Amino acid sequence: MVSLVRPESWNFPLFLHVLGGALLVGAIGATVVIAIRAPALRRLLVRTIGFLVLPAWLLMRIGGEWVNSREDIPGSPAWLGVGYSVGDGGLVLLVITALIAWWGLRHPDRRWPVRAVASISGIYLIALFVAMWAMTTKPE
Amino acid sequence: MSRYDWLLFLHVTGAFLVIGGAVMAGVFNFSALRTERPSDVVVFFRFARVAVAAIGVGMVLTLGFGLWLVHDVGYGWGETWIVLALVLWVASNALGGIGGNRERKVRELAERLTAEGDAPSPELSARLRDPVWLAVSWGSGIAAIAILALMIWKPGA
Repeated sequence: MVSLVRPESWNFPLFLHVLGGALLVGAIGATVVIAIRAPALRRLLVRTIGFLVLPAWLLMRIGGEWVNSREDIPGSPAWLGVGYSVGDGGLVLLVITALIAWWGLRHPDRRWPVRAVASISGIYLIALFVAMWAMTTKPE
Repeated sequence: MSRYDWLLFLHVTGAFLVIGGAVMAGVFNFSALRTERPSDVVVFFRFARVAVAAIGVGMVLTLGFGLWLVHDVGYGWGETWIVLALVLWVASNALGGIGGNRERKVRELAERLTAEGDAPSPELSARLRDPVWLAVSWGSGIAAIAILALMIWKPGA
């Protein structure tokens, strides 16, 4: 019930965090759709990851760290650990995805890069919803 | 986990589907704007159907579980942020509906042009860049983001 009694100073960083998360979900969703339905559109795939997915991740992550610094949460609750794992682990996955997509753009004869981008992005999309579940329900 | 936790999770899931769907629609519409061939426009507008489905499901989840949350928590139905959010929800849906209708007509034109030889068409380009259509489509997404801001700041609560 923390959200019901949230101090005013948490609102803006929380807004950035949630907005970044929602934008990230949409950007990853678009990446999955392009990779599955139009594997030939490799330039669009690279641009979507570079100009939308990574900036959205940054907004989500900066907002999250900002609100965490304001909240000063005692201990290390599991829900926060899930959030950090999906957030920070996600960056590694997203950078790998971006590199594979870029490599796929340079080698249009290879089909595996687009399949890999679709698979990794799909898994990360599921992970984002798991993180959202943990962040909103905050299980002990 | 309490009932409040589940309601909040499903409500926030809806919000993520709405804003995420709007982002997806934005990507595909922007991509359609940058193409000349009618067949490419058709491809992007078909992709946008996935976004429309996500937005539709999200709209239902946000409203249904949002109203349940208001009742469950005991907020007043006349509080400023709740009334504004409901007005913006209706506005976002209305704008999205108008934008979607125009998008369907542009897609039908692109499909016809594809069948007739797939040559670039000034009429298709003009319809894709119609400022009214663009304003309506982007306005729907901005209204959804404004609802998110209301949910966080809760003015008048």
